[in-house]
Amino acid sequence: MANVTSFYLSRVIGNRVYSEDRKVLGRLLDLIVDAKNIRPKVIAAKIKSGKGIQIVDFSFFAIYKEKGQYVIETRSLKPIEVQKEDTIMLVKHILDKQIVDINGRKVVRVNDIRLAVLSTGVYVIAVDIGLEGLLRRLGLAKPVKKILKPLGKSIPSKLILWDDVEPLASPRLDLKLSTTYSKLSTLHPSDLADIIEELDKKTQAYVFSALDEEKAADVLEELDVEAQRNVLENLPVEKVADVLEKMPADEVADILDEIKEERAEELLNEMEKEASEEVKELMEYPENTVGSIMTTDFISFKTHFTVEQTIQELRRLKPEPDEIYYLYVVDNEERLCGVVSLRDLVISEPQTPLYEIMSRDVVYVKDMDNVNSLVEIISKYSLLAVPVVDDQKKLIGVVIINDIVYELLKVRKKLA
Amino acid sequence: MPQTSKKQRLRNILLILSVIGPGLVTATADNDASGIATYAMVGSMFGYKMLWGLFLITISLAVIQEMAARMGVVTGKGLSDLIRENFGVKMTFFAMVTLLIANLTTTIGEFAGIAASLEIFGVSKYISVPLTAIFVWYIINKGSYKKTEKFFLGLMIIYISYIISGFLAKPDWKDVLKNTFVPSFSFKTSFVLIFIAMIGTTITPWMQFYLQSSVVDKGVDVKKLRYQRWDVFLGAFWTDFIAFFIVVATAATLYKHGIVIETAEDAAKALEPFAGKYASALFAIGLFGASLLGAHILPLSTAYAITEAFGFENGLNKKLKEAPVFYGLILLFIVIGAGVILLPNIPLIKLMIIAQEINGILLPIILIYMLKLTNDREIMGEYVNSKTFNIIAWVTVVFIIFLTLMLLVQPFIQI
Repeated sequence: MANVTSFYLSRVIGNRVYSEDRKVLGRLLDLIVDAKNIRPKVIAAKIKSGKGIQIVDFSFFAIYKEKGQYVIETRSLKPIEVQKEDTIMLVKHILDKQIVDINGRKVVRVNDIRLAVLSTGVYVIAVDIGLEGLLRRLGLAKPVKKILKPLGKSIPSKLILWDDVEPLASPRLDLKLSTTYSKLSTLHPSDLADIIEELDKKTQAYVFSALDEEKAADVLEELDVEAQRNVLENLPVEKVADVLEKMPADEVADILDEIKEERAEELLNEMEKEASEEVKELMEYPENTVGSIMTTDFISFKTHFTVEQTIQELRRLKPEPDEIYYLYVVDNEERLCGVVSLRDLVISEPQTPLYEIMSRDVVYVKDMDNVNSLVEIISKYSLLAVPVVDDQKKLIGVVIINDIVYELLKVRKKLA
Repeated sequence: MPQTSKKQRLRNILLILSVIGPGLVTATADNDASGIATYAMVGSMFGYKMLWGLFLITISLAVIQEMAARMGVVTGKGLSDLIRENFGVKMTFFAMVTLLIANLTTTIGEFAGIAASLEIFGVSKYISVPLTAIFVWYIINKGSYKKTEKFFLGLMIIYISYIISGFLAKPDWKDVLKNTFVPSFSFKTSFVLIFIAMIGTTITPWMQFYLQSSVVDKGVDVKKLRYQRWDVFLGAFWTDFIAFFIVVATAATLYKHGIVIETAEDAAKALEPFAGKYASALFAIGLFGASLLGAHILPLSTAYAITEAFGFENGLNKKLKEAPVFYGLILLFIVIGAGVILLPNIPLIKLMIIAQEINGILLPIILIYMLKLTNDREIMGEYVNSKTFNIIAWVTVVFIIFLTLMLLVQPFIQI
């Protein structure tokens, strides 16, 4: 009899459970861990005995190794109540299922689970996603190792620490994650988007709905069209509308263009009026016009503002980095009359009015111009953003270089 | 109110059209090289005697395909994903070995079809097979497979000529009808084998995986399940409608004159009433399209199923180095599929039929997995199988197992 310090789940599942005087009490079907702790501890076991299937307290259990085999022994089969929300069943919810490898930033399938035996109990420490785990489950790991040994080769094994794992609850499984994917939220939105794209449609919607609105908005922007459509069409209208309000109007207009008109209408009605009207205006622009890709989130200042007032205003608005490439200056009728760079602002005296330091020679485009003309202008003058005006020369939007790159890529993809 | 009902009907038709695709595409692709060879063999060897079997198979096919489509819609997951998540590694391994064997033999059948069809035009298989193998690998790697799929599906429309030929050959319709609804059976090995092959080519393991993935890809909503069903039923009917006429056409022409198919030219003879001297060419084009489509679908769908089940990297957007198992499987299929055909003195038509026999024998294994899954309330919720569906599917399973067992014990009984 040897003490065990760590073991694989597959080596004990299905084994007999003995009493202290070595009578067979039943078979081990599953281990249940508390999901609330960072280190999930096994708190209960699912046993099949003559009396049927029972959930029993794991604290009476001990695991030994005898002649190379694992022996599960228990002092008592004491029934225990477990809360579904706070527990994970290792076989039912994790083994053979997909999880997210947070460090590798991808979806992987669990071949086995590694547990550690400490004086305070049994803990889940890692999941096995490697070939070795697969072969172990098939009962082939040992023979294959024997064959490979003389060749000086070994089977690649891959363990991921539990800290770097996020289980994915499928809507059909009764797994409720109280932590709502806290580890997923630490990922960069575009990594998270890649992961969501890999999931099946149902789980996609499920994971997305668990993200907070800010994060969800960032992720939604990064998703591919198919996943966007799925999320937008399968989540409750209220939830999606809240997320869309957090996004720039031009992105929203792009996304809504891709889904069914009925649904887009529904979403626009659910959004706050101010936000939805901006989107609606953008959606009215025909494809390939500057208006269809411009953003209406820009900042402008009146000509008589002083440098000090302007800087104070910027501090108040805390604009995104790409919104302050250039600061546009408009007259009382909102007509574009100049541009000031952050540099000009910083080096000027606080009381100088903007009209004294602004450059009156602004390069701009009209909202109905073709997108191609934009590309020429931007490359000719090496700009980071171009202001967009309507027929009356009123400033109505800005096109940022990022959006143009995206637009160009889209055209190239279509051609390919 | 007649007007509302008219509107309702129009709405229904539009809804059906919105989900149509996966079922019909799968069904059309089902009449692949081996399928044509098998049906032609059925007609030329046994006349109308197996038509009743085809009629019953159509019902089984519709029920089984519906199960696959329903699973796809309800769970949003592929069949191999579901098998892995619910039955564990060992059972998955067993299912995947089954799929691998069945699909590998079918792929060999497809390359046999390519060789046979181009031999009609006088192209040696030593030229046609390696070239198409390279072509298939190129198309799959270039990722333009979806576009290519439509083109080859288009080529298969040529099989409609069998319908016309079936009429022009003036079969004895009374006899045809009688045999469609009144079963007759023979315990000869050849009869049983061809019967299994007929089931094996109509209901195949790969179709279940392929159809379910297509439905998942299309992202059909549960609310539209009712309409998805029509797509699948229509597909099952269409596939067997063509099969029915291939049997009738070959029976009315070849069987009547005692010709047993040994080469692709023989199979083409059934089209003579319709196409005259162009029969061979017409047949060859259709067979080529069907085979080439199969030679794309099978390696690709097998690679997807296996890598998904075992958690290997997959996808055509990944590079060879990122997904070695995925691309390795595709390559293995193409190399073996084409390689076997290049062996000298390989009987092409016979090979296509053997592929279907193996499919038929292995089919029950996949069907049992599907039945278990579609009856699991935790997976399917309220969409579990109905009693009628279970009965039809189980009868199919038991019947194929019965036929297979009969084949095994027969040598001993006949003495």
